[in-house]
Amino acid sequence: MSDSEVVVETKDLTKSYGEFTALDSLTMQVGKGQILGFIGPNGAGKTTTIRILVGLSKPTRGVAKIAGADCLNESRKIKRLVGYMPDEFGRYNNMRVSEYLDFFGAAYGIGRRARNRRVDEVLEIAGATHMRDLFVDALSRGMQQRVGIARTLMHDPEVMILDEPANGLDPQARIDMRFMLLRLAEMGKTLIVTSHILPELARVCDLVAMITKGKLRAFGTLDEIMKDIKQRRTFELLLLNGDQVDRTTAAVRNWLEQHSAEETLGQSDVTGAPAETMVRFSTSLGDEALSPLLTHLVQQGEAVAQFREVATDLEDAFLSVANAGEQGPQMKASAPLPKTADAGANAQ
Amino acid sequence: MNPVIQREFYGILRSPKALAMLLILTIVFSVAVLMRWPSDASADLSGSQSLEVFRIFGYGLLAGVMFLVPAFPAVSIVNEKNDGTLELLLNSPLSAGAIYFGKISGVLLFSLLVLLSSLPASAACYAMGGIDFTAELGLLYLVLLLLVVQYSTLGMLVSSYAQTSDAAVRITYSAVFALFFLTLIPRAFMQGTGDWGMLKWGGDWIRYLSPLPAVMEIMGQSSVGSAGLKETNSTLGFVIVTLVSSFLFALKTLTRLNYRIFDQSRAQGVITDDRGLGTRVARRLFYIVDPQRRKAGIPWFLNPVMVKEFRCRRFGRMQWLLRLIAFCAVVSMILTSMTALGVTSWGVNNIGALLVVLQVMLVLVLTPSLASGLISGELDSGGWALLRMTPMSARQVVIGKILSVIWTLLLVLMATLPGYIMMIVIQPTMITQVQIVLICLGWTAAYVLAVSAAVGGMFRSTAVSTTMSYVIVIALFLLPMIVWLRREAPFGQDTVEAALKSNPVGAALSALQTPGFESYDLLPAAWWFAGFVSLFMLFVLGIQVWRLTRPD
Repeated sequence: MSDSEVVVETKDLTKSYGEFTALDSLTMQVGKGQILGFIGPNGAGKTTTIRILVGLSKPTRGVAKIAGADCLNESRKIKRLVGYMPDEFGRYNNMRVSEYLDFFGAAYGIGRRARNRRVDEVLEIAGATHMRDLFVDALSRGMQQRVGIARTLMHDPEVMILDEPANGLDPQARIDMRFMLLRLAEMGKTLIVTSHILPELARVCDLVAMITKGKLRAFGTLDEIMKDIKQRRTFELLLLNGDQVDRTTAAVRNWLEQHSAEETLGQSDVTGAPAETMVRFSTSLGDEALSPLLTHLVQQGEAVAQFREVATDLEDAFLSVANAGEQGPQMKASAPLPKTADAGANAQ
Repeated sequence: MNPVIQREFYGILRSPKALAMLLILTIVFSVAVLMRWPSDASADLSGSQSLEVFRIFGYGLLAGVMFLVPAFPAVSIVNEKNDGTLELLLNSPLSAGAIYFGKISGVLLFSLLVLLSSLPASAACYAMGGIDFTAELGLLYLVLLLLVVQYSTLGMLVSSYAQTSDAAVRITYSAVFALFFLTLIPRAFMQGTGDWGMLKWGGDWIRYLSPLPAVMEIMGQSSVGSAGLKETNSTLGFVIVTLVSSFLFALKTLTRLNYRIFDQSRAQGVITDDRGLGTRVARRLFYIVDPQRRKAGIPWFLNPVMVKEFRCRRFGRMQWLLRLIAFCAVVSMILTSMTALGVTSWGVNNIGALLVVLQVMLVLVLTPSLASGLISGELDSGGWALLRMTPMSARQVVIGKILSVIWTLLLVLMATLPGYIMMIVIQPTMITQVQIVLICLGWTAAYVLAVSAAVGGMFRSTAVSTTMSYVIVIALFLLPMIVWLRREAPFGQDTVEAALKSNPVGAALSALQTPGFESYDLLPAAWWFAGFVSLFMLFVLGIQVWRLTRPD
């Protein structure tokens, strides 16, 4: 990614509260028009990062820049460049949605006529035109999220930072939110989105950053992270009847022990599930090395109905990375993938 | 044991504020008694010295109950409702009665601790001699205990209707204020006007809603509106009225503790502009400023925060303010014209004093509720982070917020202008006095605004900031008046004058030559004092806002 394409950039970003380090040397880059999914458990440091990026918090060390503007020292520029939607809606009682948006438009110094037009535009983008006359304190959670996005769009920011936009939404509202995010990216906005609902992020994000205990554990496109995670894959063998399960389990275990490399011996888990007439195993063997297993089982006289790989999704990836992070820095996943930010940009 | 009592009582006790409150009260009572403790060797056979100490202690305790007790029941139900725990309680096997009993018992137990914290001081008073244990000390505690019950049941009733905790606190304190002071007015108004039959009887009973006549009776003083005559039945009247009113408040609250408390549909956002012509015209006539009409965008020359404050406030919205002001204007004109027509023998000065009191009451009731939540309201609702993200500076935000209160206060101050104009027409020589009074009222408004905004800005919760603002503002205005009430003894001319200089209302009453205030020279010192305090408080507010707008 060339420097001109980088919109959001952090270098060695650290935030400490006394002894406690909420954010530890975060370095990442996000390109123009990309959607970055920021994933981490509660208290991982997501909101701390976001608050530093929008200028609400001061880093202990490091630099954060948005479109070249320093987040700490150029707060006026940052306010124009960034649209921030916090987890908390920020409701004002007795105000209608149109008045609410009008107020924020006026606060951003947008002229009255342009503001009136803009209110209509952002309500349309957020799919909230029908909420125009409703009171903001009477909106449901899903409606609030739409109005929150409309408010964030009022001053047409280059970067939008959305903290848990899918939180508390019903399935339909989540699907709507996903389309809205994609639409915003199509409009050229750079988006940073935090969420606990990982499948939602997997469907819309160009880049994923996984953070636990203040440390960036993985960063890159979803494919890159999966590739790294998929060092050990899980397979399932569907058999014809339950009597086969014990025999097949033993056969698979023996075969894997004979064919696995010396350093991975004992790492292959093989479990049988007679009720499901299924044998499940995980291995680090590649496709080529694994392919003779099916022939071996057939030669043993076992009738195999299906031989399939279990798909790994973002949730598995996150758990794998998070667990690796818990076990210490020697784990491979604990180190940020250095190449992935650029790879993310190339993927565009 | 009812689990709700345990939770409520422990919940209050675990709060550091409650502990601080109890400690401060104990110290204040002890210091107050100590200060008035006789230091000479002469024996006081008449018991007047001990009575003097007892009076200071008694009124202090009354003020303590009035200021501190209502805050806890006021948020008791509404907080549970908003946190979602009331649903859990109502869904449990506990009956509505058990929930109510548990909640009120928690509050009452804490209030009992407040009263108990005064026991060392009261024991010291009693030890001085000259005070009857049952007829004075015991009766005072009985009255205060009943007052605690009344305020607690009232607070919980308000809490069951309120939508937010700050609204509950505001309404409860306004109601307490009304019960304490406004209930005295009908009787005072009818005093010396002959036999008004049922009206006078009604005025008497309404007056018993206030604890002041009962406490004054126990203290051996002539009551407010009793024309110097000592009362003999105020305490009994208070006991009856308080028991009945508390029972009714409790009953009404109990009927609210069921599914109906949640049974409220979301506002549909109906706009007057979309309704029929007849409705539009009717609403225009009724409201003058219709809150349901579609608003135009904020014009460039107005501070957006100021407009936002006007639009989003529930309390003090324009249509209600206009009605309130119209009511005040009519009352002030009626009072003045009655004097002119000779219906009452009060005199223009007394009418002027009544107008001042009326207006100050409005300022005291309105201003803390508007100004205390300027910052805490934003912090509470999550709006502060959004405001910080806009290019508006902290200065613009604060100016917008303060302007929204100033405009409201200007309207309130103008409410009694017709009355003053009539006064000048009746007695043209009063023009200078009226001008001075208006300046004093202006300073009063500025003083209350600055204090409320600065005090409110120190807290993150709106309910706490509103409570603290009310307590401090009312204390600032009431204390000099208590000193004035005791102007003959123990306080001398100089002490009373110094105390009144801290209160622009005293200066206004003095300018009007109101009986009891004529002998004090309060101007321009009172203006300087109010100006200095207002500026200092605005400076404190500025520092607080600057602190809150800096990156964490």
